[in-house]
This record gives sequence, structure tokens and C-alpha cells, in this order.
Amino acid sequence: MTQVKLISAWLGGLLLTAAAVGTLESGAADVFLEATRPDFQKITLGVAEILNTGGSDWLAGRIEEVLKHDVRRSLVFELVDLPGLGIQMPDVRNGKGAGSKAVFKQVAEKGVSVLVWGTASWKAAGDQSEVNVEGFVYDSGSDEVVGGKRYAGSPSVVRQMAHRFADELVFRYTGEPGIARTKIAYVAQQGTARELFVMDYDGYDTRQLTADGFLNLMPQWSPDRRFLIFTAYRNRNSQDIDMIELATGKRWTVISFGGLNITPSLSPDGNFLAFASSYEGNSEIYRLDTRTKAIQRLTMNPSGDLSPSWSPNGRELVFVSDRGGGPQLFLMSSDGSNVRRLTFEGDYNAAPVWSPRGNWIAYVCRTRREYKLCIISPDGQKRTQLTTGPGVDDSPSWSPDGRHLAFSSTAEGKSHIYMIDADGKDRERLTFQGTHNSAPSWSPAW
Amino acid sequence: MNKTIWTCGSVLALSIVLIGMPGCSKKSVQTGGDSQATKGGTESSKSGVGSFPDTGVQSGGGGLRGLDKNPSEERLGSAAQGKMDSSSNAGRQMEEIRAEQAASAAAGLRDVFFGYDSWVISEEGRQSLSHDAEWMKSNPNALIKVEGHCDERGTVAYNFVLGEKRAKAARNYLVELGVAANRLSVVSYGKERPSCNEHAESCYQQNRRGRILIKSGK
Repeated sequence: MTQVKLISAWLGGLLLTAAAVGTLESGAADVFLEATRPDFQKITLGVAEILNTGGSDWLAGRIEEVLKHDVRRSLVFELVDLPGLGIQMPDVRNGKGAGSKAVFKQVAEKGVSVLVWGTASWKAAGDQSEVNVEGFVYDSGSDEVVGGKRYAGSPSVVRQMAHRFADELVFRYTGEPGIARTKIAYVAQQGTARELFVMDYDGYDTRQLTADGFLNLMPQWSPDRRFLIFTAYRNRNSQDIDMIELATGKRWTVISFGGLNITPSLSPDGNFLAFASSYEGNSEIYRLDTRTKAIQRLTMNPSGDLSPSWSPNGRELVFVSDRGGGPQLFLMSSDGSNVRRLTFEGDYNAAPVWSPRGNWIAYVCRTRREYKLCIISPDGQKRTQLTTGPGVDDSPSWSPDGRHLAFSSTAEGKSHIYMIDADGKDRERLTFQGTHNSAPSWSPAW
Repeated sequence: MNKTIWTCGSVLALSIVLIGMPGCSKKSVQTGGDSQATKGGTESSKSGVGSFPDTGVQSGGGGLRGLDKNPSEERLGSAAQGKMDSSSNAGRQMEEIRAEQAASAAAGLRDVFFGYDSWVISEEGRQSLSHDAEWMKSNPNALIKVEGHCDERGTVAYNFVLGEKRAKAARNYLVELGVAANRLSVVSYGKERPSCNEHAESCYQQNRRGRILIKSGK
């Protein structure tokens, strides 16, 4: 069977899966689901040793390591162990790396769809070092080298080179941008203060954004990835909603109404801000038109309403209300009409986030006094608990491809940021510094 | 007309009438159902709204150029990084909070503590607040701030609402005891400023707190 057929079978499988789901469960048909199904056929991909063509073995090793992690985490590819399959690599120091006919033949025979290889070199030039990285792709289905990339830059962007190449691979095989260049914003404790930080999605290249020595909380990305919007305290007596521009560090206040001003969420088109404020008494959800500044109160209830999260098409919001006693998830149209309760299981369901694919809402569910992650379909028909064990899991945030969630957990004592696949598997810890890391927010795709 | 039937204890009933918000809505029953409260309000403008940049996505494609059989060099630069926002009053709030706490402790003001998931004032809490109310009547010029705090369990977001309910329950009881409402302000810190960090009930108890403070500053 040729690889072209394999890939088309895979794509066909996607469509069939989506159609089947749509028919059987009357939910939104979506390719996301297949990534968590056992019959999902990932594309097999092997990464050969990156050849050091000068300067630094560390560099080649690092590129290979980052690339392999990205490939595995994409969930589009299945990373195969080339030596484990018995594929004989030539001595990569022959100058060509793995890009030889002899290797291609073995790769095709073993049913590996894609082979990636590359080179890396490091030139010291005075104060400024220069890094050059090349990556190439062989597709066994078409039996051709489909192309490659050449990157140049300073040693500080080595990880970015690997991430960028990984996203090119995902884009090539799915038409989607991939998540390797995405970032996660979060809150970290500094002394008694809480400050905003941003890191790469794999936990590296952390950068601090705020340093005002007080409380900066619950950041959310703007759709264009240029800003974070978050809750802050203007002083010890009052709370605001602020924005900060990542490229400049410029920060300003966007909502200062008095009372609680929390859980800001920009609509997918950036035209509306939904947030919760208690300036009229108790916490209610408001919608601000960011262009006209017109404000509309969406909830009318003598109870706490908070945590609005937009559906991907911007037409609906999921939110939390304790109008029935404990917090539960509710849905409403983005004008506040058509309110209906979504969760009925358990007495504490909160912190909802609508998947960018639209077909799931992730949230924090309480079972036997433990706070864990659950997902529920917007029609309420399907519900699954994703995490188990001790500790408080909080603040789920979807990756832009809808295949992963970041969240905070105290499972290992201190609060840290973790990532899981959307089926709850393959848990990976992302933060290791500090005593308290919380409220992760995954950026849109680059 | 509000068809809500409140079954709260008589002690809190007055404050509910005054404030119009539940001090103990867990014990309340709403006969009207949610369908009564689903209409959005009318649009209006309001002060306290800052400027918004256009945050809509300008272009798609993610800047990827695709694989190329003869790839040309792509030069990657570090992303632009703004100067870290570091306001001149870094840490000042924390110092002033400590000063407020010291002044309140010196005045003998007592905090009020709450049960898990609860914002109901206990008998012990009522005694503490009665004591505080007497001090407030003897010191009629002092402005009072009630801070609501929560233990580490539950979500960050919902704990802000829970903290505010606790602070308001304490404030409402002080009003009921005769302290002028305009002397009292509330602020919720959720679980973001715990007084201890152990994962144990003895610490959780300390953090489920309505802190009564002599307010300084705006």
C-alpha cells in the first residue's frame, strides 16, 4: 500500500468518523474527536539524528529533542523509533545525514510515512554567535523528498527553530498551523505578590511580564495574541481589569467599576469583552462592545454569575452561576437570552472553557471533595472526568488545536502547571520553579 | 415582582432586605425559576471603561511559508519584548496591608471565620462582630474594610465570589448591629492572599476569613 493511500485513508477516516458522530449523537461533527479515539490513525514519522555540521553537539541534540517532543505532542504524528524498527542509519558523519536512498527504502519498507532529518551548525563570530539549522522531509507515500527549511539566527532562538519546523510539518499534513509555537500565560508567586509570566507551550523560555509587587491574576489572551487581559488590584481596596501589550510591556486599566471585576474573556473576533462585575451588588456578567463602549448586563439574578467563555462562533457563552446553591455551568446566547443549565452532576462545577473546536466544554468538577477536570458536550449528552487523584485541579485552558488542555494542579503539593491530552492522557508537568504557579491560559495559534 | 422566598434565619433577614442580596442564599428557594431572569439588560455607556485596541486577528496562515525543495534562508529573531512593567510602588501595597493589620490588631478588632463552602456567620463569628461593632461605635470616625478570604480548595474564579459573599455577610451583620453602612467597604481576595499555605484543615480554617480592618487610603 502506498503512503498516498495511507494518508487518503486517514483523511477519509476523519470524514467517516465525523459523519458517524454527527449521525449517532446529533452533536457537532468535528475532526477533534478522532484524535482521542482508539481507531484514530496517526501519521508515522521518524526523526533521524540531526547531523552536527560544525561547532556544537549540544545544538544538534537540542534541535532533535525539541523537534521530537513537538512531533509527539502534535498528536497528528506517531513518533517512531527508527533504530527500534531495525532501520539502519548510515554514519551520519558522511556529510549527507539520513537523506539517502538506502534509508528511504528501509523507511518505506517498514511502513514509516515520513522521515525527517537535518543538520545544525554553530559559528562563533565575536560576541555574536550564529546558528544555522536545516530540516528535510521525505514522504514514503510519494517516494520523494517533499522539501525542507533553512533557519538562521542567534543561539537564543534554537528552540524556536525546532518549534517552527514542527509546525511546518503539521501544516503540511493537516493544513492546520500546529501548536509548537504557542505560548502559555500564567500567574506565579513572587514573595507575597502574584505576577504574570509567559512561557512556551512546552514550559521553556519563561518571561516575566508584570512586576508591580501585588496581585495580577487570571490572564486571558486576546485573539490576535498581542495582549493579555487580566484581573489586578489597583490598590488594596479595589479591583480592576487590565490589559498588557506583550511586545511593549505597556499596561493600562480597561474596567474599573468598583466591586469585583473578574474573569474577562474577549470574543473570538475581539469585538466584545464578557466579564463579571459586582458593581451593581452581586457578581453579574456584562458584555462590553469594545468599539462603542456600550455595556450590556447579561445576567439578572440575585446570585453569583461569573466565568463567561465564548463559543468559537461567538454566538453563545458558557458561564458559572450559583443560582441553584453551589456553582453550576449554564449556557446563554451572547445577548443574555435563552439561559439553560448545562451541568447536573455534582454540587460544584466551575471554570468552564469552550473548546476552540466547539464540541466540548472543559471545567472543574468536584467529586468527593477533590477538584478535578471534566469535559461535557454543549448539548449535555456526553460527560467525562479527565483527571483523578488528590489535589485541586483548576483553570483548564484549551490548546488552539483543541487536542490538549493546560491546567494548574496541587497534585504534587505545590501548585504547578500541567498539560494533558484532551482524553486526559499523557500528563506532563510544565513548571518546576517557584512555590505557586496557577491560572494558565493557552495562546491562540501562531 | 420578585417571587423569591427567603428562608434565611431572622438574624440575617434585615440585612437581606437592606442589601437585596442573599447573605445565605444556600438556604433560599427560588420558586420563579431561572426563566425569569434570563433577559439581558439594555445597553448603556458607563464611566470606568478604558481604551481597547483592535484585537481581531489580522491575518491567517501563522507566518508559515511551507516546505520548499530549495529552501531559502529564514532568519528568526527574538520576539520583541517590552520593558517589564514595574510600577514605582512595587511592594507598597503589601507594606500598607501589614500596617492596616497591625493597626486593627492594636485596636483589638476580631476577624470572623467561616465553614467550608459557607458564608454563614457562626455564633462565634457573631460574638466577634458584636465586639467589633462596639469598637466602631466608640470610634465613629474610623472607616472599616471587610476583606473576604478563602481556603485553597475550589477554583480561583469562584473563590472571588465566595470571598465577596463572606465579606458582605460580615458587613451586613455589622450594619444590623448599628454600624453605619457608609463606613463599611468590602473587598474580596478569593484565595489569592492566604495567611498560611499548608494543605490541612487547620490552615484552611485560618484562610476562610472575613478580615476586619481599619481602612487607610482610598
